[in-house]
Amino acid sequence: MTAGDPLWFKDAVIYQLHVKTFFDSDGDGVGDFRGLTSKLDYLEALGVNTLWLLPTFPSPFRDDGYDIADYYSIHPMYGTMEDFQAFLAAAHERRLRVVTELVLNHTSDKHPWFMEARSARDNPRRDWYVWSDTDDKYRGVRIIFLDTETSNWAWDPVSKQYYWHRFFSHQPDLNYDNPAVREEMWQVMKFWAELGVDGFRIDAVPYLVEREGTTCEGMPETHEVIKFLRARLDQCFPGRMLLAEANQVPELVRPYFGDGDEFHMAFHFPLMTRMFMAIRLEDRGPLTDIIRRTPTLPENCQWAVFLRNHDELTLEMVTPEEREFMYDEYARDPVARLNLGIRRRLAPLLDGDRRRVELMNGLLMSLPGSPIVYYGDEIGMGDNVYLGDRNGVRTPMQWSGGWNGGFSTADPERLAFAMISNPVYGYQAVNVLAQERSGHTLLNWMRRLIRVRQSTRVFSRGSLMLLDPPNQRVLAYVRAFEKEQVLVVNNLSGTVQAVELDLSPLAGAIPVEMFGQSLFPRIGTQPYLLTLGPHAFYWFRLRRL
Amino acid sequence: MADESLLSDDLLRQLMATGHVDILVGLPTLNNAATVVDVVRSAQRGIAKYFPRARALIFNADSGSDDGTPALVRDATTDDTGTVSASRPLRTTNRITTPYHGLPGKGSAMRMIFAVADLLSADAVVTLDPNVTSVTPDWIPALAGPVRDGHADLVAPRYPRTAADGPLVTQLVRPLVRAAYGWTLSEPLMGEFGCSRAFATHCLELPALGSGGSDGVDLWMAAEALAKGFRPGQAALGPRLLGPSQRRLALPDVFQQVMDAVCACLELHDSYWLPRGAAAPVPCFGTLNGAAEPGARPDVTAMAGAFARDVAALHPVLETILTEQTLAGVTAAAATPAPLVYDDDLWAHTVFEFLLAYHRAVMTREHVTQTLLPLYLGRTAAFLMQHAKSDPATVDAAFESLCLAFERAKPSAAALWKKT
Repeated sequence: MTAGDPLWFKDAVIYQLHVKTFFDSDGDGVGDFRGLTSKLDYLEALGVNTLWLLPTFPSPFRDDGYDIADYYSIHPMYGTMEDFQAFLAAAHERRLRVVTELVLNHTSDKHPWFMEARSARDNPRRDWYVWSDTDDKYRGVRIIFLDTETSNWAWDPVSKQYYWHRFFSHQPDLNYDNPAVREEMWQVMKFWAELGVDGFRIDAVPYLVEREGTTCEGMPETHEVIKFLRARLDQCFPGRMLLAEANQVPELVRPYFGDGDEFHMAFHFPLMTRMFMAIRLEDRGPLTDIIRRTPTLPENCQWAVFLRNHDELTLEMVTPEEREFMYDEYARDPVARLNLGIRRRLAPLLDGDRRRVELMNGLLMSLPGSPIVYYGDEIGMGDNVYLGDRNGVRTPMQWSGGWNGGFSTADPERLAFAMISNPVYGYQAVNVLAQERSGHTLLNWMRRLIRVRQSTRVFSRGSLMLLDPPNQRVLAYVRAFEKEQVLVVNNLSGTVQAVELDLSPLAGAIPVEMFGQSLFPRIGTQPYLLTLGPHAFYWFRLRRL
Repeated sequence: MADESLLSDDLLRQLMATGHVDILVGLPTLNNAATVVDVVRSAQRGIAKYFPRARALIFNADSGSDDGTPALVRDATTDDTGTVSASRPLRTTNRITTPYHGLPGKGSAMRMIFAVADLLSADAVVTLDPNVTSVTPDWIPALAGPVRDGHADLVAPRYPRTAADGPLVTQLVRPLVRAAYGWTLSEPLMGEFGCSRAFATHCLELPALGSGGSDGVDLWMAAEALAKGFRPGQAALGPRLLGPSQRRLALPDVFQQVMDAVCACLELHDSYWLPRGAAAPVPCFGTLNGAAEPGARPDVTAMAGAFARDVAALHPVLETILTEQTLAGVTAAAATPAPLVYDDDLWAHTVFEFLLAYHRAVMTREHVTQTLLPLYLGRTAAFLMQHAKSDPATVDAAFESLCLAFERAKPSAAALWKKT
């Protein structure tokens, strides 16, 4: 599977899922690899070609698996290593690539490395973590989990020193100034790559190295660590991919691509936030602004774009006015707010409005980057903000209207997370089985959308040229790759719009609407008039015949 | 409803692209190159700071400027709206500049602004005078806020006034409109104002908006709002300073325009104002800050001289307009220039008797208003002499006292008006 085009990730449509809540094969209330394997046909039919799995390592689960206690195994509740390998083989048979999580920055405080390190100041593992006699070092570095942490230092009563943690206090940061740590993490990566994993999503990338007097984010030494791992990976496993989680503005994320020798991909966080902002403002300004500010990437790199994921909708990179607007529009109930973000799924964020859900997915699939679909969003699943932390967007997949939504045969009380059961988004109303029975459901619409996107490489590899029609409610752009051109026109507003597009550079082309293959009038030198229904969008393949 | 013949195809295309707006800032311009850029910037900053979520349009109706005003409006930018940290509007602030057709003058420009507001369903309309150099971003929420909040349909300005600042307003229009219409509106000659879409749509039907003129149009709108039941409000703005390049009309022309408008409004609205009693308060939003600018002091000696000279010369005409008692008072005042005294009650009766003469058409109406001008100069000179050294509070009290004198004089004038 890993042979072939080394730039496969550019053509990826990624499906992000949580093994824990996808499908439970053994009735213990927790999803597992056997369950996931049994649902690969579903994923293949959806049209995605890459799976990104949330962490499945052994863990005390104080951060839903991002607190890793053993990097060389999977948690028994998800199955055995044999189950994992069987899943990997079955996915590859279907030409589905698999990307797994790798948390480099920190471990669980229950990881044996940390247990050893804290046991005595002279323990050989002591220097695998970051220690200090005082909590004065790196003063001023921001705290990320504002709602739960008051300091980046935590006191260890065992060894009587403070240890550094950028996230929860039970997640001590590894010390990447120690070459042994770098080497060990390469061994981890190698272990999974040898099993056949196609890529790694690296969590919390900017925080690997600390330096006094700085923000401790994106240090040059952090880039050295990444280059080290990338070089080893390319050397031993060509064609494998590294995906960075760096929750920053694109100008600051750009260095993580290096000269094409660090990450292959990185998430474009602000684009996601701006999509939500633009559709609520009914104004393309936030989107065109961030698109123009997005730097060009090395040829062998790609953005990963998404609407929702397993975390909160981040509002870290917006102005205070914008944040207040987003809270007012998307999280009027303060319970939905977490840290500097909003813990909600796509459909509830958009008030269950099918038109807006479609438009947002249309944007996702037509803007530059490899799109990521978060599990359950393809059927419009809801959330439960009362589950605490971000668990409300990690509830079990809703496969049917039956027992536990078809997710598990366990007693409902035993489930990893309670099913969504309200009358609007509950599994009785929103589920795969029901949506497979009708051609016009969101699920089948998503399948068509992905199929149309994948019918051309213009979306995955093409350039983007923004158009500037006077109507600010309309976002229009031309994607081009080799000899292909696609005109995309989106109505961001909830009302019918007319727009005049200056398409004179494309004069002579015949627009063919890509979903219905309908012909539109030939483009001339005069402004091209289009009318769009509320939240409608068109993709036109431009033909010259 | 909007008269769509006002709108060229090109403008219509721009409006189509703009769509519904929450706030429309109208700028009626004619050769305002020296000052208009700062006004546009203030509007932009006001929108960004106070209405960052609003759909906004800055709409410039230009009367054929030959000094590049439209281009300046189009290109005016603020240097603090492009960064992430500064206040900036979340939505795009649209901007349209267009020439308008019809008679040149503010009336036609206002008609176009209101037509656009109507067509784009603007929730609030703010009109700014492009020749005012003291506009600040705070003026936008001051004028638009009460409308958006549903507290008023028309928000007139309030400026701090010295004794010599705007005597046509303080000595004549303010007390007259207050007494007649029964509302304590400080600035009926609204240089800038805010209004609701309903009021803008209503004004499209006003014949005065199809005409030229400037100050008269503002008065028409204020009077129409009061008479037709639109909720009035006032916004406390800072001092109002005019730019140096204004091609100002001579006093006789301004006086004529204003008096024509006052008299025409009173004729049109007499069923409303004749039965009105004591003035009701018009709510004022905000607090007046900033001292009034003293400005250039008028030559009161010349004004008093003109008053004395013209009262003597126009005595036969005044006999046909004024009652015997009022004429005696005026004659006595004109004959005693040092110190010149033209008290509040005498002035109030003078004005109302002129209005009655206008109403009865005892002579050509233009002649009536022209005859009032020297008396206005005399009254103003007397007031300025009396308050040459008064502090602001004393001046404000004198303004209020004058308004009350007009209110006292109104009933007898109203009774005579009805008999005519």
